Amino acid sequence: MYDALVVEGLTKVFAKPAVDHLNLTVRAGELYALLGPNGAGKTTTLRMVAGLLKPTSGSIKVFGVDALADPSAAKQMIAWAPDEPMLYDKLTPMEYLEFVSGLWGVDPKEGRARAEALLRLLGLWDQRDQRCEAFSRGMKQKAALAGALIHEPKMLILDEPLTGLDAAVSRQVKDLLQERVRGGATVILTTHILEVAERMADRIGIIQAGRLLAEGTLTELRERAGERDGTLEDVFLELTGEAEAAPT
Amino acid sequence: MIGRPGSTIWLLGHEIRLSWRGLIGGRRGRVRLIVLGVIGVMFAVAGVPIALALRGFSMPVNPLSVLAADAACVVIFTLMVSQTLAGAADALYARGDLDLLFSSPLDPRKTLTVRFAALAGSAFTAFALLVSPLMIPLAIFGHWRWLALFPALGALSLAASGTGLALAVALFALIGPRRTRAVAQILAAIIGAAFFLTSQTRTLLGARSATLWTQVADAADNPNLRLPTLAAWPLRAVTGDPLPLAAMLIVGAAIFMGVTAWLSRRFAADAASAQGADTGRRRVARGVAGAFTGGVFASTLIKEFRLLARDIALLAQVLLRVLYLLPVTFLLLRNATGHQSFALPGGAAAITFMSGQVAASLTWITVSAEEAPELLQCAPAASATVRNAKLLAGLAPLALLLSIPLGVIIVAAPLTGLAATAGAAAAATAAGLINAWYPTPGKRSDFLRRRRSGSLLTGLALFFVSLLIAAATALAAVGLFWALIPAVLAGAALLALRRSPAKIAEALAAQS
Repeated sequence: MYDALVVEGLTKVFAKPAVDHLNLTVRAGELYALLGPNGAGKTTTLRMVAGLLKPTSGSIKVFGVDALADPSAAKQMIAWAPDEPMLYDKLTPMEYLEFVSGLWGVDPKEGRARAEALLRLLGLWDQRDQRCEAFSRGMKQKAALAGALIHEPKMLILDEPLTGLDAAVSRQVKDLLQERVRGGATVILTTHILEVAERMADRIGIIQAGRLLAEGTLTELRERAGERDGTLEDVFLELTGEAEAAPT
Repeated sequence: MIGRPGSTIWLLGHEIRLSWRGLIGGRRGRVRLIVLGVIGVMFAVAGVPIALALRGFSMPVNPLSVLAADAACVVIFTLMVSQTLAGAADALYARGDLDLLFSSPLDPRKTLTVRFAALAGSAFTAFALLVSPLMIPLAIFGHWRWLALFPALGALSLAASGTGLALAVALFALIGPRRTRAVAQILAAIIGAAFFLTSQTRTLLGARSATLWTQVADAADNPNLRLPTLAAWPLRAVTGDPLPLAAMLIVGAAIFMGVTAWLSRRFAADAASAQGADTGRRRVARGVAGAFTGGVFASTLIKEFRLLARDIALLAQVLLRVLYLLPVTFLLLRNATGHQSFALPGGAAAITFMSGQVAASLTWITVSAEEAPELLQCAPAASATVRNAKLLAGLAPLALLLSIPLGVIIVAAPLTGLAATAGAAAAATAAGLINAWYPTPGKRSDFLRRRRSGSLLTGLALFFVSLLIAAATALAAVGLFWALIPAVLAGAALLALRRSPAKIAEALAAQS
């Protein structure tokens, strides 16, 4: 298995370091969950990988491509889906997918076929000609996810993809992500819902104060935390030193 | 805050406080107050000599003064109605506190009545502030009875608010709550433009035509004119005659209270449906669904065209500025056919300057008011391609709008027409480029606010570059080679302002 993402010495300083010499490796075809307390630097890290923020220092390689030297080539392989859907209220989902296809240079015929397949899969086909302004949060999230998948990215980066979704939509999104991973795509996601990471992730990385605290499979993390039968929540709290702070 | 919590006075205080903070709030609040103060002082300085000149003047009650007062009342009333109409839709849509107020144990009718009173208050305040610098010196120098203009304005604002509210409810019923706001804004724009165009009838139709005021004067000169007694009441009211003034106040209050009482219950229901409409109503898009083009430029262009075409309210705001080009165009045409060549360069320059201003608005919408900037940033598309598509999308509607009048001018006066066309194209492109080099990200809904608080540098740059190109156009329109000087200066200014994509990205990152 080769590496999909290699991050070395990645640093981003705002008023103080948000990401501090972070080293991270994500293997191709795995679902990697990046966890951490609020303000740990998860979103900043992912935004740098997606090309939305320029690092203060460090390197980012996406499938061997230097994302800082050749951002366009790296972006071609990446899809970024933030917690707030990147949508246009006055466009329909079909028009939105048409636009995103154009941005990523998808062949028009292929783009149309993929858009139809995605909208049907996500249950938005009947709403394909309705403007997104009338959509619920879940529908918007699904439309944005369709946009992230329309160019069949090799790496899908999702920031809190399940925030605010009901159980049915949440399940649909999880199934879709796992299906993509089975199809060979790499998925990196952040979440505060630790059960999701526990059930879905092949490997989990925990960062705190901009640095990687621990990384591995759930079993490896349990061993490291000395919580052999513990849940991911127990492991997380133990590793981040919040166990004592949490109410019993 | 004054009054018992939950009382009408208390609620009114809440509304006034929100309005006041809206006026003085933000970084620009203090500047706004200072500007208002300076304008007030300037008006007052002009008001004192006028008041002194009118010291011994007694207002005659003759057909001319009566008709002038009646016409002024109609104009003010109509402007107040349009203001209230837009304000009613805003009060029910834009302010996010209706859910809070309606979920409280307060009677929704009371909440709405107070809000409607605040609308009447804002209509009154706008006109009262306008006349105060003149009326106060007039009162000080002997015409204290003319202070009756203020209660008369109050009566007009009450009547106009009642009418505006009734219209708003009618629009709710006719076209649904969603579109009411857009239509209200369009109506307000059209009414404003209509008054402007009416005041320009002499420009539009020639010297033999008459403005609204000259028509009033002509009508007053008619010896056969017999005005009913009531026609003189507005004039008598504003000059302090108690009976007409009381009648105006009673009628105004009756209209407002009657309409408010009748509509409050219904408005509460409509407002509730309006709040939910954003998520409840389904709008089917027109056009070819799934017109996949496969290119960054074409996709961006189509996307921007769609977004522009679907934001009626925003287009109406821009359209209003284009309407102001009409008198200039008519002036040009009239002078071109009448061989009054001295007016041609001025008209061509005016068209050029206004094109730059309108293009600045349109390109701000397409370039800076991007709803999903991160989507574009994380796409493997060249930022220059996206920017060019956005600029073209912003400039195309202006080109379309100007093509017919400019075409007609080219036929009537070829040199002027060609100069105006080249000038308008240059000014519009320059405005677009400045917007692209100095983007000020914002929401489309912030369009009007941005114009008030946009970057000073961008505003000045847009103004001076448009001015230089307009000067070049004026000189070119009469075939003078001196046109090259302002043209070269404008080009030099643009070169100095130019920013690389990397610099633009840096500036945007610093703003975020």
